[in-house]
Amino acid sequence: MSSSKAILLKEEGNRYFQAGDYVRAEAVYSKALIADPLNPTLYTNRAMARLRMQLWENVIADCEECLKLSPDSSMKAHYYLSQAHLALRHYDDAVEHARIAYDLCVQTLDKSLASVLAQVLKSKKERWDDLEKRRTRENSDLEAEMLSLMERERDEALRPDGDETMDEGSRREITEEWEKKMTTMCDVFNKARSADDKPRVVPEWAIDDISFGFMHDPVVTKTGKSYERASIMEHLRRQNMDPITRTPLYPSDLRPNLDLKQACDEFLQENGWAADW
Amino acid sequence: MAPGAQFAAKRLGKELTKISKGLPAGIVLVQGDNFEEWLLDIQVLDSNPLYMGQTYRLKFKFGSSYPIEPPEVVFVKLPDRPIPIHPHIYSNGIICLDLLGQQGWSPVQNVESVCMSLQSMLTGNTKNERPPGDEEFVRGNRLRPKDIDFYYHDNNV
Repeated sequence: MSSSKAILLKEEGNRYFQAGDYVRAEAVYSKALIADPLNPTLYTNRAMARLRMQLWENVIADCEECLKLSPDSSMKAHYYLSQAHLALRHYDDAVEHARIAYDLCVQTLDKSLASVLAQVLKSKKERWDDLEKRRTRENSDLEAEMLSLMERERDEALRPDGDETMDEGSRREITEEWEKKMTTMCDVFNKARSADDKPRVVPEWAIDDISFGFMHDPVVTKTGKSYERASIMEHLRRQNMDPITRTPLYPSDLRPNLDLKQACDEFLQENGWAADW
Repeated sequence: MAPGAQFAAKRLGKELTKISKGLPAGIVLVQGDNFEEWLLDIQVLDSNPLYMGQTYRLKFKFGSSYPIEPPEVVFVKLPDRPIPIHPHIYSNGIICLDLLGQQGWSPVQNVESVCMSLQSMLTGNTKNERPPGDEEFVRGNRLRPKDIDFYYHDNNV
């Protein structure tokens, strides 16, 4: 009884959602959940409306509730969790949930693979950007701290020792010595900074010939050519044909290219900016 | 923006970056300031008398499923941009090339490779003629180029 009422309410909510009225959709999904509080998809539907309303904490609560009710199956719950965590700058959680959603998509041949891949890359890229921002800030803090320590050392060395007064020659010598040390240190920091600014080039072997993006999960065809899994799957949905040789090709013919994946992962470790390239 | 449109825009953005670093001889990007429609000029560089000294204007239209779906590519007629004479090119600019059809398209093709294919399709042609039935086709056709089911009877032309 209550579950058929919930189904009607869910459909009503879906109609509001389709029409772009997320506030009404969310209210109706909430009513549906009162009627049927153990239905996991009602939670992900409400989370989807709450995502649009930018109620991040509520999205997380709904998705976690959904995963409690159906622990292994909800790709959507992980996908929405990733988006909410990313908005809240919980980068590790965002990457982790996007990864789980991605793996679920691969296992079930879900059509959302490309969108979920985009979320994986976006989370990775934002995590890297944040890390880099912090690294830059830490480095300039360290530089400033070192400089003031060196200045203190220099002043210490210049301070008159007891009654003896220092002659002008030694004063100049000490001052010049410390100036030189400080300049050298600043040069080292500057060199490190300009190394970060070096041109960002993605090697050809890491680029997918369909999306022209950086490969994250390369798969290889029968002819030995590798593509990003999401790209080639999108193509094979339209046409079961090898993009180059035009001979028959099916999703079951694809194999992960583990060595290439490892090379891509290694490149990404050093060049996190390339994640969403 | 539909999710598909993001992928199309990303890929076209990459193509644009590559194009800005240089295109093969005889291909020039005229307009590419959005991800829906680009204009390019092409020239045939050898001494084929049918096309010598001429410049042709191409219009590319990209759907949200590009590059999974082919772009729509036609020649555009302007005072100084004629429609090249060719047994696979109708006088309204519609091109009959398997590469651009639903069956012949491959997502590894791109704007540059399409332009190069068209260049070589012109270069290799010696027939000073339009496709059979050109007049009726130009008068009667209401289909979008990519929905026309061309019969690619002669791929050597």
